[in-house]
Amino acid sequence: MTSGTGPRGRPGAGRGLPERGLLLLLVLVLLEGSVVFPLGAASSPDVDPRGHSEDRAVAEESQNYSKKAFPVLSLDYHHIHVPFEIALWVLLASLMKLGFHLIPRLSSIVPESCLLIVVGLLVGGFIKLAGEKVPPVLDSQSFFLCLLPPIILDAGYFLPIRPFMENLGTILMFAVVGTLWNAFFVGGLLYAVCQIQPGNPSDLHNLELLPCLLFASIISAVDPVAVLAVFEEIHINELLHILVFGESLLNDAVTVVLYHLFEEYSGAGTVTILDGVLGVISFLVVALGGVLVGAIYGFLAAFTSRFTSHVRVIEPLFVFVYSYMAYLSAEMFHLSGIMALIACGAVMRPYVEANISHKSHTTIKYFLKMWSSVSETLIFIFLGVATVDGPHSWNWTFVTVTVLLCLVSRVIGVIGLTFVINKFRIVKLTTKDQFIVAYGGLRGAIAFSLGFLLEEKHFPMRDMFLTAIITVIFFTVFVQGMTIKPLVELLAVKKKQEAKRTINEEIHTQFLDHLLTGIEDICGHYGHHHWKDKLNRINKKYVKKCLIADERGREPQLIAFYHKMEMKQAIELVESGGGFKPPSALPSTVSMQNIQPKKPAAAKPVQRALPQLPKGREEEIRTILRSNLQRTRQRLRSYNRHTLVADPYEEGFSDFIIKKQKIIELEKKIIHMNNLTLPAAPPDSPTLCRARLASGTETDFKPAQQQKGKQSSPDPQAYRPKRDSVPTIQVDLASPQSPDSVNLMDEFRANGSRREEEEDQGLTMRPRGEDGRREQLTRCLSDPGPSADEDEDEPFLP
Amino acid sequence: MGSKASTLLREEEIEEIKKETGFSHSQITRLYSRFTSLDKGENGTLSREDFQRIPELAINPLGDRIINAFFPEGEDQVNFRGFMRILAHFRPIEDNEKKSVAVSEPLNSRTNKLLFAFRLYDLDRDDKISREELLQVLRMMVGVNISDDQLGSIADRTIQEADTNGDNSISFNEFIKVLEKVDVEQKMSIRFLH
Repeated sequence: MTSGTGPRGRPGAGRGLPERGLLLLLVLVLLEGSVVFPLGAASSPDVDPRGHSEDRAVAEESQNYSKKAFPVLSLDYHHIHVPFEIALWVLLASLMKLGFHLIPRLSSIVPESCLLIVVGLLVGGFIKLAGEKVPPVLDSQSFFLCLLPPIILDAGYFLPIRPFMENLGTILMFAVVGTLWNAFFVGGLLYAVCQIQPGNPSDLHNLELLPCLLFASIISAVDPVAVLAVFEEIHINELLHILVFGESLLNDAVTVVLYHLFEEYSGAGTVTILDGVLGVISFLVVALGGVLVGAIYGFLAAFTSRFTSHVRVIEPLFVFVYSYMAYLSAEMFHLSGIMALIACGAVMRPYVEANISHKSHTTIKYFLKMWSSVSETLIFIFLGVATVDGPHSWNWTFVTVTVLLCLVSRVIGVIGLTFVINKFRIVKLTTKDQFIVAYGGLRGAIAFSLGFLLEEKHFPMRDMFLTAIITVIFFTVFVQGMTIKPLVELLAVKKKQEAKRTINEEIHTQFLDHLLTGIEDICGHYGHHHWKDKLNRINKKYVKKCLIADERGREPQLIAFYHKMEMKQAIELVESGGGFKPPSALPSTVSMQNIQPKKPAAAKPVQRALPQLPKGREEEIRTILRSNLQRTRQRLRSYNRHTLVADPYEEGFSDFIIKKQKIIELEKKIIHMNNLTLPAAPPDSPTLCRARLASGTETDFKPAQQQKGKQSSPDPQAYRPKRDSVPTIQVDLASPQSPDSVNLMDEFRANGSRREEEEDQGLTMRPRGEDGRREQLTRCLSDPGPSADEDEDEPFLP
Repeated sequence: MGSKASTLLREEEIEEIKKETGFSHSQITRLYSRFTSLDKGENGTLSREDFQRIPELAINPLGDRIINAFFPEGEDQVNFRGFMRILAHFRPIEDNEKKSVAVSEPLNSRTNKLLFAFRLYDLDRDDKISREELLQVLRMMVGVNISDDQLGSIADRTIQEADTNGDNSISFNEFIKVLEKVDVEQKMSIRFLH
């Protein structure tokens, strides 16, 4: 598909009329925002007292009611101001996203996150200039409860499970040990520096060890939002991506524990060994508890989705609500909400996708991407706004030492850990990999929000902390975010493979899995493959039966993958050429696998290939056709929305193809009877019919109504003899169990004598089987196996 | 060498195996103890029944083929050297080995790993994976629920994708080419602990 170039491919188009309109709109929204906010801000603190006074006023007024003119038009902003402001922010964020692509050069140099922060700074500046109080947009309530969950859910639901599990040991090492190392190193050294700081004794000498450690634990965690935002644009190879991203997700547990630990005890001033031990236990509880809560909700969601076959429209809702509840439940117990959300999404996905319809799957995917993208945009804008607003207390030493220490500790941590990890890895991490992992340790809004949560009375240094946190965030996002792309190019780091997975790779990978499991069993080595195999077996035997509705779970991964591929090709065929243009005009995207250009033996006119049909036989054919046709139609209708072609476009397409084929076949026969000459037809009219007639087998596809054939045929249904060699595309829309998904190739190979049919076979559709056995329903396109779905790995944001 | 008493591994044998396969001393001893535990007949060689006694192998779809791979052409017993020779294919590739210009390629090089896998497909050793051979493997992996025609079209498509010289079968070079994006070094390696 060549639709991926996007606005970046339009060099001079930035100043067209629609784009100017968009820019104008942006400016208007900004102005409106900066006007409205003061209005809102001015009124919002007064709402409560005003509410009371209004009540009193109404009470008074009802006593002495004096008639005023009826207000035809009145302005009542307070009534709607909260949702209005929220909507305005969201609108601003979305328009910003659009706006960036108007300036393609800028967006290729500077990552979006930086631009968004700058926009936030501007908006904050506007508001401050207007003299009004900046709304506390990044207060932790809205951040942790509304802005963060969509991003994490999106990440967790589409997490590539296989690479994640394969590298889980490495990821955990980085997340847990790395973050701990960072926290203690930075905290300790910061305290030391503060103590020996000469000069102004007032500020820094008062800083105790524990607040330092608390600060360090806030600042040392790699942030998933920032990592996602930056790494999405550099298209790095899967291993590095999953390492850094996985680390950013899993270090949440460590951060939660450390934060609460130090916050609790910084009042007391000391931490004993017992507290340390409790901390470790608490870490295990937080991490494992979070995962457990998430898994429970995941299984509940999977189980619920089993029964949704009658009310398809609310299927996506279950996914979202269960996940959000998992997050909230985990937060309720002070467990790691992020890990709960990841676990919930990852656990429920294979089962839910096997159960829900194709439309629901698309809905979930798009909603998640939409919410997470809006959230991310908003977070960065708010970061800018909060920077302008936030109480700042700049202290050169503190801030610079913090930034320096963060960098140094990250580098040392990564190098040290990799040295240990490489002893246990099969594929070692090279120096380049280590560099990218270290460089990709970006801090983001979570750190800021955690800092925001600190109370002023316990932590008099809060302002200084916030300033330092913001500086570190800015440094990592701007400097590291902007330079990582050129560095990746410079170091020639392996990029993400864009090509889709071929069926060969799928088959051979499974083959190798089985082989390795067998060898491990022979060696008595209970390694990775052994446990994975065991888990798969348990999954297949018990869990799938429970959570997946009827037969859908039984389809092997390989078959599902194959079908998905075929379906994709069919869609591509339609989208690329409309399916009905001359095959020579078909673009090369379709000419992938499955196309075999066959040279015709000679350019034969149509008639020679068709045998003469006596009249009696024609009648016979027609009756058979009609009855057959009805059966086929019924079968198609008996698929409800969960089956293969749930998309109306696709449904229409297949129906249309079938109809067209039948009509053409019928026409051919009729022509032959009546010796008419038809005008030229599109060459791709499937000569499947012709082939089958010639080969003597009864065609399954029969013309719809004879009436149609007798009319003067409109152009698309006209028939043209083919001259050139035509690529053959076989699209198998049959069900997995269809017994007559006969490969036309086989037929031809078998009937070697019938070489004339090799000319072309446009779109060969296989009819559904005609046995009485109930066809296995193919459920939605997405793969039940979590690993083979390449689609979800594509960056959604262009 | 074959008597019941001398089931211990001699030093020079360990050295030879080390040179041939690249395993370390401790790995060889560990695998030797596994070998002896499998060898119920205690005659220093393993037969097919010894392998089939491993329970997990029985439910592995490729179990029989894997077992057959251990036995050289036509023989029914495999000694420890042969056992290690096959297992050497699955040793992880180390960095220093990648650069070494050895006379003969080490057993665990990428090409040799792939050759081993290829031989599992290609039973008649004609250096080509024909459609029937592919169908057999697919049938083993996929189970009994899928129809022959379905499998047939998958097999055909697989061959079409891979086949570059038009002989309707997959040769070893085509096999290598198809798997060039797959990380074979990791996929076909077992971490034998030191």
